[in-house]
Amino acid sequence: MIGNYFRKMIGATQSPPRVGLAEILWSWLGAFLGIGAVAYINYGWLDATGLLLLIGSLGASAVLIYGAIKSPLAQPRNFLGGHVISALIGVTAFKLLAPHLWLAAALAVAFSVALMHATKTLHPPGGATALIAVISGPQVTNLGYFYALMPVGAGALVMLAVALLVNNLAPRRRYPEFWW
Amino acid sequence: MPDASDKTESAPAPGIDFKEEDILEAMRAIPGYLDITPGDFKEVYRLAFQHALERLSRDVTAAEIMTTDVVAVKPDTPVAEVAAAMARRGVSGAPVVDAEHKVVGVISEKDFLSRMGVVEPRNFMSLVASCLMTKSCVTLPSESALAEDIMNSPAVTVAPDTPVRAIAARLTQKGINRVAVTDPAGRLLGLVSRRDIVKATMGRVAS
Repeated sequence: MIGNYFRKMIGATQSPPRVGLAEILWSWLGAFLGIGAVAYINYGWLDATGLLLLIGSLGASAVLIYGAIKSPLAQPRNFLGGHVISALIGVTAFKLLAPHLWLAAALAVAFSVALMHATKTLHPPGGATALIAVISGPQVTNLGYFYALMPVGAGALVMLAVALLVNNLAPRRRYPEFWW
Repeated sequence: MPDASDKTESAPAPGIDFKEEDILEAMRAIPGYLDITPGDFKEVYRLAFQHALERLSRDVTAAEIMTTDVVAVKPDTPVAEVAAAMARRGVSGAPVVDAEHKVVGVISEKDFLSRMGVVEPRNFMSLVASCLMTKSCVTLPSESALAEDIMNSPAVTVAPDTPVRAIAARLTQKGINRVAVTDPAGRLLGLVSRRDIVKATMGRVAS
């Protein structure tokens, strides 16, 4: 019993192969243009108004929707659903539990994972989106549930548009695998 | 998936025995990052293959895989002619049908062997063994023996809509290699042998 428990920590298989150079370059281009678009809108247009479009979890999403575009985790359902659901949970956790931020943070992420699983929208950066709603201070927490629409929903939509445009330019790439 | 990988070790994949290198090679052939480990892929493949086999053996019926071009003999056919017919067609068994084409028995190599003095005839090697171990080789069945004298009767028969899985179970349970497929009146429609089952299964999985 105990032996098996520790044996499981050794691992059972090996790492998938490295992707080709073309894949690396297309991933780079998608990430550059996707984050570039959101960041340009954020700093170029919105900064003055106090609105926000660029949040850290979009950087994590870029890895998936430009770098691992075949993954179920990277499909539109997961990408949009995961972010919006997690944002709602994060805001709710903050509203109910502040100033107990450690508990709000833990519950926000835990419930995000659980609810993304239950709704088939698992998207790892969603965990970060929920966490950001709790730990970012007044600039984010003052948004209330609007946070789920903007920056989260709107930022994700911009990145999704770039993913559709750029990923499908590559002759041997296709995105998405499924929409819903 | 620690539980699943444990299973991989104990139960090898049916059909092809994949190595993880094969899977890695296949993954390299697909451009783009595949979000799955070779170990998980192997487990998915193993289970999918099992499901496919189950589905196919559940859906496919005797009528779909039976051989219809069958060497059938009459009860009064001399055994020498039976043997000659089986040899000519390269089969190891033949149904015996009466005038109305109803199956009354089945003759297989085993029936010949047991008539040739082999005590426990399991296959042709039983004959070779008894030949080599005793000075007198074989006692041939008398020339006047007829099909009905050596046939196995009654024959094991199945209906055309019998699932292949059930036929496989019958073959194993009775220790035989073929069953006759008959209509409700008992008339011969075809024959399903172990070879037909293997062929049908592999052909469908491959395509």
